[in-house]
Amino acid sequence: MLEDLPILSIIAFLPLLGALVTLFLPQGGSRIIRFTALVFTFAPLLLAIALYISYEPAVGGGAFAEKLTWLSIPLNMDAGLSNNGVTSYRLLFDYRMGIDGISLPLVLLTGVVSSMAALASVHIRKRRKLYYFLFLLLQTGMYGVFLARDLTLFFIFFELTLIPMFFLIGIWGYFGREQAANRFLVYNGLGSAFMLLAFLILIATAGFSTAPSATGMQLTFSGSYEVLFANLSDPNAAANLNSAMHLSDPLKWSAFVLLIVAFGIKLPIFPLHTWMLKVHAEAAPPVVMIHSGILLKMGAYGLIRFGAFLFPDQLDSWAPVLATLGVVNILYGAILACAQKEFKLVLAYSSISHMGIVLLGVASLNETGLEGAVFQSVSHGLISALLFLIVGSLYERTETTRIDELGGLARVLPFTSGILLTAGLASLGLPGLSGFVGELLSFMGLFDAYPWLTAAGVLGLLFAAVYVLRSVLSMTYGGLPDRFAAVREVRFVEALPMIVLTALIVLIGVYPSIMTDIMSHGFDGMIKLLQPGHGG
Amino acid sequence: MDIVFSQYAWFAPLFPLAAFAVLTAMGRGLRTTGAWVATIASLLSFVLSLLIAIERLGDSAEDYTGRIEWLRAGSIVLHAGYEVTNLTALMLIIVTLVALLVNIYSLGYMKDDERISVFFGYVALFTASMLGLVLADNLLTLYICWELVGVCSFLLIGFWFRKPEARAAAKKAFIVTRIGDLGLLIAILLLYWNMPNHELDFTSFYNVFHSQSGLISTSLTTLIALLIFLGAVGKSGQFPLHVWLPDAMEGPTPISALIHAATMVAAGVYLVVRTFDIFAASDAALTTVAVVGAFTAIFAASVGLAQNDIKRILAYSTVSQLGYMMLALGAGSTTAGMFHLFTHAFFKALLFLAAGSVIHAVHTQDIREMGGLGRRMKITAWTFGIGALALSGIPPFAGFWSKDAVLAAALDDSPWLFAVGLAAAFFTALYMARLFFLVFMGKARGDARAYAHAKESPLVMTLPLLVLAVFSVAAGFVETPWNEWLGSWLTDGEEKGSFSSMVVISSIGASLLGLYLGWLFYGRTSAGRNPVAERLPWLTRLLERKYYVDELYELAFVRPLAKLGRGLSRFDEAVVDGAVRLVGSSVQAAGKLNTRLQSGQVQAYALYGVLGAVILILAIAGRRFW
Amino acid sequence: MTMLSSYLTLAAVLFCIGLYGVITKRNAVIVLLSIELMLNAVNLNLIAFSKYGINASLRGQVFSLFTMTVAAAEAAVGIAVLISLYRRRVTVNVDEFDELRR
Repeated sequence: MLEDLPILSIIAFLPLLGALVTLFLPQGGSRIIRFTALVFTFAPLLLAIALYISYEPAVGGGAFAEKLTWLSIPLNMDAGLSNNGVTSYRLLFDYRMGIDGISLPLVLLTGVVSSMAALASVHIRKRRKLYYFLFLLLQTGMYGVFLARDLTLFFIFFELTLIPMFFLIGIWGYFGREQAANRFLVYNGLGSAFMLLAFLILIATAGFSTAPSATGMQLTFSGSYEVLFANLSDPNAAANLNSAMHLSDPLKWSAFVLLIVAFGIKLPIFPLHTWMLKVHAEAAPPVVMIHSGILLKMGAYGLIRFGAFLFPDQLDSWAPVLATLGVVNILYGAILACAQKEFKLVLAYSSISHMGIVLLGVASLNETGLEGAVFQSVSHGLISALLFLIVGSLYERTETTRIDELGGLARVLPFTSGILLTAGLASLGLPGLSGFVGELLSFMGLFDAYPWLTAAGVLGLLFAAVYVLRSVLSMTYGGLPDRFAAVREVRFVEALPMIVLTALIVLIGVYPSIMTDIMSHGFDGMIKLLQPGHGG
Repeated sequence: MDIVFSQYAWFAPLFPLAAFAVLTAMGRGLRTTGAWVATIASLLSFVLSLLIAIERLGDSAEDYTGRIEWLRAGSIVLHAGYEVTNLTALMLIIVTLVALLVNIYSLGYMKDDERISVFFGYVALFTASMLGLVLADNLLTLYICWELVGVCSFLLIGFWFRKPEARAAAKKAFIVTRIGDLGLLIAILLLYWNMPNHELDFTSFYNVFHSQSGLISTSLTTLIALLIFLGAVGKSGQFPLHVWLPDAMEGPTPISALIHAATMVAAGVYLVVRTFDIFAASDAALTTVAVVGAFTAIFAASVGLAQNDIKRILAYSTVSQLGYMMLALGAGSTTAGMFHLFTHAFFKALLFLAAGSVIHAVHTQDIREMGGLGRRMKITAWTFGIGALALSGIPPFAGFWSKDAVLAAALDDSPWLFAVGLAAAFFTALYMARLFFLVFMGKARGDARAYAHAKESPLVMTLPLLVLAVFSVAAGFVETPWNEWLGSWLTDGEEKGSFSSMVVISSIGASLLGLYLGWLFYGRTSAGRNPVAERLPWLTRLLERKYYVDELYELAFVRPLAKLGRGLSRFDEAVVDGAVRLVGSSVQAAGKLNTRLQSGQVQAYALYGVLGAVILILAIAGRRFW
Repeated sequence: MTMLSSYLTLAAVLFCIGLYGVITKRNAVIVLLSIELMLNAVNLNLIAFSKYGINASLRGQVFSLFTMTVAAAEAAVGIAVLISLYRRRVTVNVDEFDELRR
């Protein structure tokens, strides 16, 4: 049934529709605005769950793929191809959406985290209409990024996440919000520029395909992901047409490095990480939930989708570099997290550390490690969303999240403290909770090729225990400062997302197959390209 | 004989797990009802374990294995499974019996705590994970449960979360044991990539390592064994990772009995026994285990001599006895190790629970403030005495037989190990005598009113003491020089115990000497003065400060790490972010420069435009003509 | 060809006069007039090319009609802006209009 509907487009554009509806609602009706936003946030989540149920990993997502011609621009050029019977040229911008075992978990993550962030937005009291408008707009961008199968479309969605996020950080954050928003925009704008450059190189050199037309053969340049993947994975694809069209090695390398930098900023990779510290510390908690829970994962997704799939050979020779960077990320983030006094910064550095594990998974270049990277992305998305949810609730009550000012909260906030402790344990990789599985798979994937680097990465788990326990225990255990004696436990509307996220963290921790099964054939196409011996 | 109950062994962890789920979901509303739910769950587990054990008492009960696929990622298939062997059946009995008794005891001990249902929930979760650890048929499942028992231990140490000491102790316990856990994790990774078919279950280990097939080189085997041992060192509080265990006494006393004496800390020993095929394939690894065990045994026993907190003394005693077990394993005798684990679980749990009964009565843990309690708490004093005798290794109590087995194994391996073990036995008897005489004999030295109010604990607390006392007396007879039943049952008759009258005589001699000296110093006069300690104050201080190990770690690891953290923090702020700010500000400066051109005069802008166009035209024209 | 080049030269001269006026004159009205001059130079070009160009056709003449219309509209808007500016600032001196800077 789902196959008959353009289900992917519906998922991606329902929030946009919601954003437009929000615009027509009265400024004062905050209740109805919130209700509308919730409806249009939960609807894509339900559809994504339906999609998850009907998705069969062995078949793949082909049945759900959508393709429409969007813009077709005739080109007037002569690339000396007339001898191949090519008589006309065009530049094609397709509207292509698709899903596979890699994007589906991330789409689900987007749905869950957005919904929970929407619920958690009760604390937003300023300019609600604009807030929810931007919030919904952002969701369309995020879904689009994970669903788009055309470079141009991907780029548009990618940028669509940037602008709403800029305003969400800059208007609703804490004291240093504007600086944080600027930092965010500058860094990510730079990343987008790199990405655009890489995409242009790809479209112009590897995005060609021929088809018979009325006047003869027509050569089409497009950013279609399938075309790119086919051309790049077939060394003879260009030679058949014309040697001038061949994507030369230096060009390939430059595209690859540009992509690594572009998505490395998003992930973030050391030393490109400082922007996200500011965002973590200064943006409003629901916004950080989205940011840390989903936007960082776009970096991981991009690395896998464009780095690993399109340039497996380049990635292969850069694997030691990426693995080293991953270990640096893990240890650097973890050690710095141990030294922070502000809980939000502890979480920010812990995100850097956890994203290092994603890098390790990607660098392993085998199915185990890559699945570990995706798993870790989803798991960290849930965990950091949960942690920032708690940060939001705490800040509402205590007006500080500095760990040296808080203490003994388990007495007045037993429920929240329990959830915080659970989230902390998940974050330090306790088996039975989601964090462990992603780490285990990434380490397992990488260990065969780089045992020493992996062992160094494992050391990060020790520091994770140190910073998590240090911060969580000093906030919740010990004596309670008098000024927090009257603090009240969370309301149901705040408790609900905490329970949902905790339940999910436990679910995929105890029964990881629920996620790994849908990924199981997602990497087949890429693994085949690698030389034997990398299959794991 | 048909195996029926073994098939359902996985219910054993399921009962307490269900109890944990119920207690967590229902929250604090349950109070004592919740405590009963948890107790009944542990009773069910105990009954099941008993049935399994009885079923396996027959001569040739086959091992039963059941497994499911837990995770498939790429070429990796990870299983979750359980295995019932005689070894696991023995451990099941130990764990469920102690858990049941501690549950019953806690009904009285924790009666007035407002978070009693949380407490019982944690205990239930612990019992479930510990049973999972025991039953696990492969190293990964074991590791998962291993971490879970660790976190339960952490939660329970920090149960009284308002005390800063409890918070610090919980944190320390988790982090220090985690060092060992990482070793175990790396060992798992190594094994995974080097075992044929990536198998991680214990049967495959047996097949690969026992046959000396050479599939895995000796140096790699040693590395793997040492990494596994690192995990065991962390969990079982062996030197140098023993520092967390004495601090863990900040938790409620029943927890110290269950987790930090009888079960979880023994998990390290159990792990080594479980993977003993790997150790047996590497002499270097076995030697390391033996040396670390022997050193820990005497090191901790000597520290125990100078402590004044009743629970800390017992904690150091636990560390020392775990060292004994490791010593036995390192000497190559799994039977002796498991035997000592078995008897130690009973008498150490007994000692802790009796100590809890004392603390319950006088509300202090400092033995200098106790004294003469034997007259007010008869059952506690008698059972504690039995436990002390068992621990000291006085025949016919359980500890005597198992300690003898350990010492005999040590003598087989090396006389030096034997000598160290003997010295540790002497220290053990000495500090137990000191403890017993200072607490129960003589005159009350502490608060007179507290002494007057001190009375015997209720039946729910004394009943477990009595049961454990019976075991402390009788459990040793499963393996005696004339009846090596346990050894042949555990190892299918592969291991033979060695008996030597020299061992028996010297160990009894050492223990009696220790007890006598203890009586001489602390029992005869109620003053509790130790002439040796008075002669050598520096030695006393060294022991009281526990050889300054904590201070050394603080100096060697904690502070440099904190410094590194702060230094890197500044680096991140100044250099990494500074580079970004530099780029940002240089762009801004360039922008400022350009604003000079922006006069706001439209005509000026037009002029620039024209000039630009002219340059462009000249450039194009120039390219065409030159 | 000579016809074309003389037309083009005339147009270029006209354009330059207009450009000079736009850039140098202080009076906004004169600036507007100079813009008209430039537009007319362009028109002249269009018509010249439509008569003497390589692909001679009516297109250029039609286009110049459009230009004139647009120029008229543009002049109307320009004068309107100028009048409203004059009402606010009581001057037509372009040197004093540096709003763009703020």
